[in-house]
Amino acid sequence: MPPAQAWRRYRRGPWRVAVAEDSMTPALQPGDWLLVDPAPRRWPRRGSVVVVRQPGTGMLAIKRLAAGPGDVVLAGTEYVRLADEAWLLGDGGGNSVDSRHYGAVPLDALVGRAWFRYWPPRRLGLIPRRRSSSARARASIASKGKLRR
Amino acid sequence: MSLVTRWLKPATTVYAHCDVPCGIYDPHQAELAARTVARMVELIGQLPKENLSEADRHKFVRCVAVKEQHAEIVKHEIQVIWSDYFKPEHLERYPDIHDRTWKILKLAGKNKQNIDAQAAAELEAAVKEFADIFWSTKK
Repeated sequence: MPPAQAWRRYRRGPWRVAVAEDSMTPALQPGDWLLVDPAPRRWPRRGSVVVVRQPGTGMLAIKRLAAGPGDVVLAGTEYVRLADEAWLLGDGGGNSVDSRHYGAVPLDALVGRAWFRYWPPRRLGLIPRRRSSSARARASIASKGKLRR
Repeated sequence: MSLVTRWLKPATTVYAHCDVPCGIYDPHQAELAARTVARMVELIGQLPKENLSEADRHKFVRCVAVKEQHAEIVKHEIQVIWSDYFKPEHLERYPDIHDRTWKILKLAGKNKQNIDAQAAAELEAAVKEFADIFWSTKK
């Protein structure tokens, strides 16, 4: 990303977000307050938690980025290779409304990466990149590639 | 909330949204709310007409409040399905969707204004029919 564009994205934010609802439990819980990086340098990477503008509703959602450009996913009943798109999944905790509902999301819809939880204090810490903890959600990813470093 | 947490609280909320597996829209909530309205009218009718005890008056107020709330829930849920879910092709199959929606909203308003078992039953029936149309478009 050119510096000028990165700067614009930093300016725009969001910097801090509050989590509502529980499709990301146990990694994130409702009421968690997070720091967001609106312009990550290496992007998008599998396993990171991202803030995304949900297609259709325009609502800001938080999901895990399960697959990115070039990965193969199970969309409905057929396998597709993602172009400049991301495949987002919830972690579990109920029936997450994610890419299994609304399909792949263009990269432009990603607004930032959630990287740190600063509230509540007893769960303060970095938000690690990892696979979705819901097996049912993971079943929609066909390629079993390791997390990119 | 203390000054510190007020200062720390983010202005933006992000949703880790969950839903029932059948889809984002579901008229069940509206049906449940309409049923609640009818039940509240029933409960109010069961209260003694004169010399209400303190407990009875309390119950009366609670029933009225719940009736109001749930009539409002009916309006909200029906409006969402009407405006967000139904598409022109649904309208072709069911040209009376607009009319039905309008009538349900009116009926919900009537149930807020009055304690009327007849109106409550009509509301319940109308919401049921609306839900049937919703499910038939899912087939």
